[in-house]
Amino acid sequence: MSSGRFLDKSLKFDWFFIGVTIALMTCGVSLVYSATVNEEIVVYDSLWFRQIIYFVSGIAIAVGLIFVKIDWLKRAAVPSYVIALVMLVFVLFFAGDVKGAGRWIDLKIIKLQPSEFAKIAYLIIISYWLSKHPVSLFKLKSFAVPLGLFIVPFALVLKQPDLSTALVFTAITLVGFFFAGLTFTDMFLILSPVLSVLFSHSQSMVFQVLWGVLICLVVLSVIRRHLSKKLSGVIIATNILAGYASTMVWNMLAPHQQKRVNTFLDPMSDPLGDGYQVLQSLTAIGSGGVGGKGFGNGSQTNLSFLPEEHTDFIFSVLGEQFGFVGCAAVLGLFALFLWRASSICKTNDDPFVTLLTMGACTIFLFHITVNIAMTIGLMPVTGLPLPFLSYGGSFALVCMFLVGLLMCLRYQGSK
Amino acid sequence: MYNDTSENEARIRRNWNVLIFLTGAFILFLVILFQLFSLQYIHYEENFQRSENNRLRRIELIADRGYIYDRNGNVLVRNRPSYQIALQALEMPKKKADRDSVFRRLLDIRDSTGTRLFDSLSLDTAFQRIRWVKTRPVRILEDATMEQVAVIEEHSTELPGVSVIIESRREYPYGTLASHVLGYTSEISEEQLKLPEYATYSQGDRIGQKGLEQEYDKEFRGTNGLKLVEVNASGREVRTLSDVGALIEPKPGLHMVSTIDLKLQKVAEAAIPDTARGALVAIDPRNGEILAMVSSPRLDPNIFSLKRRERNKGWAHVALDTLRPLNNRAIAGIYPPASVFKLVTAGAGLENGIISETKYYPRSCIGGYQYGARFQKCWGVHGNLNVVHALRLSCDVYFYQAGLEIDMARINEFARRFGYGEKLLGVDIPGERAGWLPDSASFNQRNKRLGWRWARGLILNLAIGQGQMVTPLQQAVFVGSLATNKGVYRPHFMKELRDAQGNVVRRFEPEIIRSGTMKPETHRVLMNAMDSVVNHPGGTGKRGAVPGIRVGGKTGSGEWKKGQKTHAWFASVAPLDDPQIAVAVVLEAAGGGGSMAAPIARKVMMAFFGKEEDK
Repeated sequence: MSSGRFLDKSLKFDWFFIGVTIALMTCGVSLVYSATVNEEIVVYDSLWFRQIIYFVSGIAIAVGLIFVKIDWLKRAAVPSYVIALVMLVFVLFFAGDVKGAGRWIDLKIIKLQPSEFAKIAYLIIISYWLSKHPVSLFKLKSFAVPLGLFIVPFALVLKQPDLSTALVFTAITLVGFFFAGLTFTDMFLILSPVLSVLFSHSQSMVFQVLWGVLICLVVLSVIRRHLSKKLSGVIIATNILAGYASTMVWNMLAPHQQKRVNTFLDPMSDPLGDGYQVLQSLTAIGSGGVGGKGFGNGSQTNLSFLPEEHTDFIFSVLGEQFGFVGCAAVLGLFALFLWRASSICKTNDDPFVTLLTMGACTIFLFHITVNIAMTIGLMPVTGLPLPFLSYGGSFALVCMFLVGLLMCLRYQGSK
Repeated sequence: MYNDTSENEARIRRNWNVLIFLTGAFILFLVILFQLFSLQYIHYEENFQRSENNRLRRIELIADRGYIYDRNGNVLVRNRPSYQIALQALEMPKKKADRDSVFRRLLDIRDSTGTRLFDSLSLDTAFQRIRWVKTRPVRILEDATMEQVAVIEEHSTELPGVSVIIESRREYPYGTLASHVLGYTSEISEEQLKLPEYATYSQGDRIGQKGLEQEYDKEFRGTNGLKLVEVNASGREVRTLSDVGALIEPKPGLHMVSTIDLKLQKVAEAAIPDTARGALVAIDPRNGEILAMVSSPRLDPNIFSLKRRERNKGWAHVALDTLRPLNNRAIAGIYPPASVFKLVTAGAGLENGIISETKYYPRSCIGGYQYGARFQKCWGVHGNLNVVHALRLSCDVYFYQAGLEIDMARINEFARRFGYGEKLLGVDIPGERAGWLPDSASFNQRNKRLGWRWARGLILNLAIGQGQMVTPLQQAVFVGSLATNKGVYRPHFMKELRDAQGNVVRRFEPEIIRSGTMKPETHRVLMNAMDSVVNHPGGTGKRGAVPGIRVGGKTGSGEWKKGQKTHAWFASVAPLDDPQIAVAVVLEAAGGGGSMAAPIARKVMMAFFGKEEDK
């Protein structure tokens, strides 16, 4: 692609980026419309209309954010982080008897989900800190503050309990480290114990061999990076321990606990619960074929087989009605979105901008992959919505806030 | 800033990292695309077939609702099977022409007498409804008879999407008996679904409304089960997927053994005709168990289990009735306590040493009492009396003077000790209303809008129980605990909850809610007085006497509106030496308590002690 006028780095607005975002929002509203359209409900009370309202207010927020100076963001980092923590503690202790778990603060006009707000607040503060203090495996003390900043909201969200959102925090942190000094090899070493658990868990020969290869790679990487003897020992030992301990812990679990983990990892083993949804979702997507059944013609979704089709399972509506072509097109839009978003850090040399941009990209990428993988049966069922497509006010506003943040970085950062 | 590398190097490294990030994202998207390709291209045929023909259905298995028994094991509430003929949206033909032919066939179906099963209007509504109600069956005939079911089953092959559902509905074998206590069940309403206490319920659930059915709904309903079945194109079940663990057995609800005594309840129901407005409460004062509770006029809870049209008719009948049969007058009817309250005035005086058995007031009853410019009347001419005689004859003049001397604060304190007042007794059925014991502060506050101010002369009325508000339940609790002198127990209906196997899961522990004790001397005098009200030939409550049993009581005739007959009250307790039952009866606008209410309480007492009525 030639560097056309729209991709000019010196432009204050990335019209291509804005265009992709609006296209995604349009897809979202039409899918919510086709999933929930109902003759019983008047227009202004319908979900698709509400979704439009959420997006419009989101656009207003995004436009407002453009005029925020990057310095102001840095200054707001600490206060917003503290407010987010206070709200998380608040929901943990004071709201929680009513259905929907203790995740909401009801402000009468809108319901606030503090964990969504915390995502943004945490992103800003971790970017701010890492931009001033790069991390390195040779200086382990450099990890102390960022890990401290990470662990508090992580634990609070995990306690709600909301594992998937807690993992979003983890993803932000890891990508932050990657852009604040760690090399690709370092990232591999940090993540290797998780891989160890995954590989050694299965008793099959292939995975045992894979695990062996993994350990060898870890040893090689450690040698190549010339890490201190102590740290190298710790990393290798953790890997081996993680491998064996996971099997041991697994065997120590009671059968019903094993069953619970299994249903989480493999929803199909619980066909009355999550498995039912995944099964219906797979059928819906698969029956779409290459070209789809056409807008509004999804027999699976239109017959309300999917209980949460307009929120977490919106992708199956897309798959059924627009088929492989539609899915690929939306994935392409997402890819363009991420590409244009990540290119913002090239407009500015401030590491804060880089970290903030890539953190926002991480939030989007994590939600996109986890949600789609769930609807097509590649991952356990979690409650993560799909950006711009899923119905939901709180998350739509968060997405638009992040978009606003990205636009702001571009607008304020370019000379 | 990064000092160890030059600006340019940092820039190059950053760009590499962004590239790595984007490559990672790209790989993830490729994996997703691959899986999509596998689902939508390689396995397209089977997925398409599955979505077209054979489908999995998740069917909720409704748990059996628990029964209600009386204290001797007689069934008061049970379930009966009910056949519903319904349309299943998912199995209806897709083409409009096919649907119309089902419509016409349904319209043509007649039973043996030649009458149509369905009328075109309601059938049309149902066919409209299934266009958006996809997951739930839409009923077209509720509570179908066996004959109607047979007719439908006969034609089942030509009626795709029409099915017979067996539901369990509530049945109240004794009809209106204790209807206010038992409550009824109906489909959960839209308003209830929005309330936080109904968070675990979903649309279409049948839930308890009013009475025990509502209060113990969570216990009665049990836990619903779930099964996954495969259905064929016309919606018939092909198989249950129980082999893959896709079956959760429903857990039936708990049965309740209530404190109600069916025999006593029947007698009480018979004693109060349905034309009368009134209530009766019989309670065991030793532990708060309510043996019988009647509120008249009654309603038949069975109407709520009927088919829609009859249900609506019945509902309109009870809801619009000016006699308000939906009200449980025994706990939600508030009346002046009338002369029954003289026991409180007397008790407060005795307890505080202001009056005694030997004290006479200077002014004797000459048919009234001159208070300032006002002549407060008494219902008779009684002469000069002591407290026991004054209670026996229910003389107002004595209590005018006693009330002025004792003062409201002491009277109200004594009344609250035995269950009167604004605090609820906490009976375990919903709808209980609080009473009211006026004093200067609460009187002024309550009547602020009317501009009425408290005056000392009001004590005259309050001392004889005109002006307070009490419920029949409070009256029964009051006389009962007055006689036991061992505290006020929380009145309740739940005795035990048992599971399906008959094991006791929960038992109601008697709980003292008010101190309810007084000096032995006060107790002795009050018991003497209550005894003489019933057993003395001149007592006002002599029609409440039971041969061979020492019944104590107090009559009351509550004035409520000029020119109308008084509310008839009678509260009694027996045997006085070892109280086992307390009964309070109120009949609205029926006349004097001694003549109207006392015979009803007597009937209940006779039944309780197993005495035969001599004709």
